[in-house]
Amino acid sequence: MSAEGAGLDVFGDVTFGIPDRLRASYRTTTYFNTAPDEPMQRWLTVRPDGRVLAFAGKVEYGQGVRSGFAMEVAEELRLGLDSVEVTLGDTELVPWDLGTFGSGSTAYVGLQLRRAAATARAALLDLAADRLDLPASELGLAGGRVVAARDPARSLGYGELVADAYRRAEIPEGEVDLTSPGEFSVLGTERGRVDAMDRVTGAAVYSRDVLLPGLLHAAVLRPPSLGAELADVDARVAEQLPGIVRVVHEPAGPGRPALAAILAESDEQALRAASVVQARWEERSGQPSRWDVPRILLDSARDAMVMQESGDVEEGLGTSARTLEASYYAPYISIAPMEPRAATARWEDERLTVWAGTQRPFGIRSELAAHFEMPEARVRVIAPEIGGGFGGKSIYPLALEAARLARAAGRPVRVAFDRQEETQHSTFRPAALVSIRSGVDAEGCLVAWEYEAIHAGERALIGRRGSESPYAATHLRTVVSSADSPLPVGSYRSLGAAVNHFARESHVDEIAAAAGADPVEWRRRHLGEPRYHGVLDEAVRRFGWRSAAPGSGARDGRGVGVAVGIDVGSYVALCVAVEGGGQEVHVARVSAAIDCGLAVNPDGVVNQIEGGILQGLGGTLTEAIEFEGGVVLNPGFARYRVPRIHNTPRVDVGVVGDPLVRSTGAGELGIVPIAAAVANAVYDATGQRIRELPLQRQLQPAG
Amino acid sequence: MPTLRVNGERREADDGARNLLSYLRFDLGLTGTKYACGEGLCGACTVLVDGQALRSCMTSVGAVAGGDVTTIEGLAPEAASMGELHPVQRAFVEEGAMQCGYCIPGFVMSTVGLLAREPHPTRGQVQEALAEHICRCGTYVRILRAVERAAGGATPGSTP
Repeated sequence: MSAEGAGLDVFGDVTFGIPDRLRASYRTTTYFNTAPDEPMQRWLTVRPDGRVLAFAGKVEYGQGVRSGFAMEVAEELRLGLDSVEVTLGDTELVPWDLGTFGSGSTAYVGLQLRRAAATARAALLDLAADRLDLPASELGLAGGRVVAARDPARSLGYGELVADAYRRAEIPEGEVDLTSPGEFSVLGTERGRVDAMDRVTGAAVYSRDVLLPGLLHAAVLRPPSLGAELADVDARVAEQLPGIVRVVHEPAGPGRPALAAILAESDEQALRAASVVQARWEERSGQPSRWDVPRILLDSARDAMVMQESGDVEEGLGTSARTLEASYYAPYISIAPMEPRAATARWEDERLTVWAGTQRPFGIRSELAAHFEMPEARVRVIAPEIGGGFGGKSIYPLALEAARLARAAGRPVRVAFDRQEETQHSTFRPAALVSIRSGVDAEGCLVAWEYEAIHAGERALIGRRGSESPYAATHLRTVVSSADSPLPVGSYRSLGAAVNHFARESHVDEIAAAAGADPVEWRRRHLGEPRYHGVLDEAVRRFGWRSAAPGSGARDGRGVGVAVGIDVGSYVALCVAVEGGGQEVHVARVSAAIDCGLAVNPDGVVNQIEGGILQGLGGTLTEAIEFEGGVVLNPGFARYRVPRIHNTPRVDVGVVGDPLVRSTGAGELGIVPIAAAVANAVYDATGQRIRELPLQRQLQPAG
Repeated sequence: MPTLRVNGERREADDGARNLLSYLRFDLGLTGTKYACGEGLCGACTVLVDGQALRSCMTSVGAVAGGDVTTIEGLAPEAASMGELHPVQRAFVEEGAMQCGYCIPGFVMSTVGLLAREPHPTRGQVQEALAEHICRCGTYVRILRAVERAAGGATPGSTP
């Protein structure tokens, strides 16, 4: 990657900040990402016209990273946000990246961009010191210019400073002189999204919107049930229909799945033809249904990983004044982003370009290069705007399908899932079963805690996330197991943390109720980490929490609940109020507090917490995937009920945290404690302790 | 051949049976109108036909022949800055009412349709008009604020 002509490029390590352990585990087990060929790549350019370009391998799927990155660069270069242009997710233009997941954008890449911008600042100051014949210490920066402190008439624009030659700077290893929080004028301030205009005018281009000249629309024949294999295709009738350009049928081979598709001039022609294709599928028989899942989890639990262990749980339970034992269950749920996946591929001179709304453009590039046995340098993957992903769009088989079909057709090809395909051929948040045994002393203080979770699927990282208890206990044991999974599982916002927190924070409420203790006070007594106290105090203050034991009120259909959580290094607390009787629960009010260290864009953090809470209400109250024989029975919004606008509670969010503490994630936090907070409020309101999600299915009609 | 106006321009469509959403996106290149469910359940494909919000994914071109179709691109076609946006678009930007943004054109179009027939809607009327829309990112708190802002302040029946 080399820039042309004059200007200043800042290069730096593309693996900055990512723990080696994490990188290795992703590379080998999860997504088969290759490491970058070249660790030093370009992060930032100062152009001769004074514009600053920032480059990042992250993608924008709703988190607001483009805005956050622009703010970080603008801060270090003392620029207005509109002088910074951020390019994301295009493998030809941006530094290599692992993928946009695990709240790594602000934590690692945003920090590296700040370091790149600070490096550019130092280089610009040096250049200006030479030209103005002044020591750098007598120079300042303002409005895109380096200015002599004692004689503001003497100044040079960033563009002027770099216009005479091409220059390259490198981000130094170790400490870089970053702007300190006390001097921030951009970071930590309320800013709107830099890409907001395009989103309200329809100008933003998502992967479904990439339309190329000569584009063919594909209708891919999809298996009618999980694991079905295509045995035979008869497309003689389909081929005769108007607009059909080609029928492609590539049988399965070593390392490649079968692919059969109709290619047509228009989307509707392709679909019409596909509907008259005679395809014979060999389906798997005897696939389990949703009712079998708890038994499958229990029978196939394996690879138990001890996450926490101290003391002796049996001994602790034996000496406890009171013990409790309960199990909690969460079914599979669907990711259901608004934009079903789509990909468009074009071959030109043995170079492949694929537009795909994936969270993992570099990983997809590796997959494509491996499939076509060509160097990665000849494959370009561009992730345009993404209409929601929440973890699910790391997996993106449509990119390869589009590339295979475009190669066969000799024209660009677009493959797009419809809503049913997006659900059926996706991954799901794993079903999970959690069993907890606890014991308290006569004062209600925790003595023993045993937590055993089984999460469906082989991806152990999912189930382990958020399983550790933060509550002090002498005897403690936390074990997480994997198990068979009848449905394919994958990443979804906070991985297993939301489900683990549902179990743990519900059980803690049960302990408090049994001890007649206020659940806020009980938590305060058992939490050591001050940051937990910070968020809990703030949420309680905002909510106006009144001390009482759960369920000790009138049980008149109104109730309150609390839960705390931790994920990706950030802390969260929620207080909720519910109203309603019978089988409908309405969450009326939520007060939240988050501590994610330095909040780069506080309004962006608030937006993420609000959104996580709202999205989480779905899995809490109504969402569950129904399936039978390898078929999802509720693949559309008619029978898969996600939250709608009339389900919206009043939500207020407090952002606490020390700006000197480095930024950690915000996107995954809102969903983490919501299910438990609502379940606890439902108990307070009705006296019904519901230990299975979604809650509304379990509620008994008002008596 | 059915004729219609799209964003003020007269158009002749080849095929009256053509799905309106596909026609707008693929034949006219107006990709601001989105596909998300194809069943009229999520509102992402909402356009205005003679000022009324309509699900384009459930409509044929022939069914709106002779009509005046407005898509998100047609609300403020020349807008180069915030001040030139349609007031509803501006309100969504000012309230930061978006995350991924995929559903937003649909919400904006339904809001324009709502405010045209009911300039000062109650909170209940807003929720009813937008009940058939989905924002999976969960930005409803902000969308409600944006609609209230576009309607010129807090709506009656809204909670403080």
